[in-house]
Amino acid sequence: MDYKAVIIGGSAGSFQVVTRILNSMPKNFPIPVLLCLHRLKHVRSGFVEALSLKSSIPVEEPYDKDQLKPSHAYLAPANYHMYIELANRIALSTEDPVNHSRPSIDLSFITAANAYRQKLIGIILSGANKDGAYGLKKVHDNGGTTIVQDPNECEVRTMTQSALQLTKVDHVYSTDQIIKYLLKL
Amino acid sequence: MTITDQDFQLFIYALKNSSKYDFSQYSEKSLRRRLAKVLADNKLTPPLLISRMKNDNKFVEKIVNEITVNTTELFRDPQVWQAIRYAILPKLKNNSVINIWHAGCSTGQEVYSMLILLSELGLLEKTKVYATDLNAEVLNNARQGQYKYRFNIGYLDNFDKVIKENPYNFEEYNDVPYENYFYIDKTSDLIKMSSNLKDKPIFKKHDLVTEDNTLYVKFDIILCRNVIIYFNYDLQNRVFDLFHKNLYDNGCLVLGLHETILGSYSVKFQKKGHAYYKN
Repeated sequence: MDYKAVIIGGSAGSFQVVTRILNSMPKNFPIPVLLCLHRLKHVRSGFVEALSLKSSIPVEEPYDKDQLKPSHAYLAPANYHMYIELANRIALSTEDPVNHSRPSIDLSFITAANAYRQKLIGIILSGANKDGAYGLKKVHDNGGTTIVQDPNECEVRTMTQSALQLTKVDHVYSTDQIIKYLLKL
Repeated sequence: MTITDQDFQLFIYALKNSSKYDFSQYSEKSLRRRLAKVLADNKLTPPLLISRMKNDNKFVEKIVNEITVNTTELFRDPQVWQAIRYAILPKLKNNSVINIWHAGCSTGQEVYSMLILLSELGLLEKTKVYATDLNAEVLNNARQGQYKYRFNIGYLDNFDKVIKENPYNFEEYNDVPYENYFYIDKTSDLIKMSSNLKDKPIFKKHDLVTEDNTLYVKFDIILCRNVIIYFNYDLQNRVFDLFHKNLYDNGCLVLGLHETILGSYSVKFQKKGHAYYKN
């Protein structure tokens, strides 16, 4: 399968997992990586720097209408929803939070699913609410590949369990298996 | 509610035909989402919405007001306001007149932020502040200058960061009372801007997409924050053209924290800190 993007959603307990995934990626990872992670309200800065430290590909908080590039990771900026438009561009929005979240993982996943359809990999990681479950279902409904981090491995399992309840996902993987899967792309 | 591509196109077409509004170059994903919300809030189906739009101007205005996004804060992103205070406004202090345009001002919180800052710097007298928006309803809110208090308690933190503290000198603290600028009415749960601030700006309805500069002056500063994110790439360039033409030489444009100038206009502005200066 010729994938066009990977999108990863997570909240509490996902930071270490994302760090390990970004650390293990080859410098020439063939597609863009979209990250929609909840963060504490008062931690508005420093997050992208923290992720960049160990990442083997550049991590940036994109500007509106930025064009996505392969081998780059894009972190949804604090206090904005991050949408994927057709033509591979990011669109940001300050619409009200959804399920108390801005960025909303659901909205990023829904728009990415709509833009890339079967050529998208959606991954849901550890987290303390159900944001992302509906979005992952949309990835599935559009023919994309769906992966959920093994709840037994998650620091907080609400997010992964909600996703598993809503969708028959393709893979339930440990962090190591997620890394192995992505390395094969 | 899911909106089909055809419904979406028909809506934009109907709007264009029954009003002066043109949403055809708005960012698609968020416009679709807004449209779905408007349909749900009004308990309408796409065909019903479209047919009502055809012969009811008031209804069209209502729909346009509901579809536009109107989130804003007092001193939103304090670091940007610190830059306006310490890097942008000082350069204008010897001007005889300063013209500022808040394009897409929504409910006006940033207009009042600017007025407070101008007052602190002793520049309020000689500054003309213009504030425009597409949405007549939010402009009325802006004129009234009243905001929910408890819901917006973060406004006070932002105020402290920009007005009371100095990011370049941690020992400095100016204990400016809020009452200099607004009154917090806890009984009615409102922050009420003082009348000397409310009387100052010129509020006017204006559509960045279809209209030229209808204020008939040029500007030293244009603030347009978190507005162009709702426009697609091509439309953004039209708006940058409008801003470029209506800035004085050395005038500057202040965008939202994650907005930038891409494409051909990127070489016609130079970014310094949080502002884009006209080349």
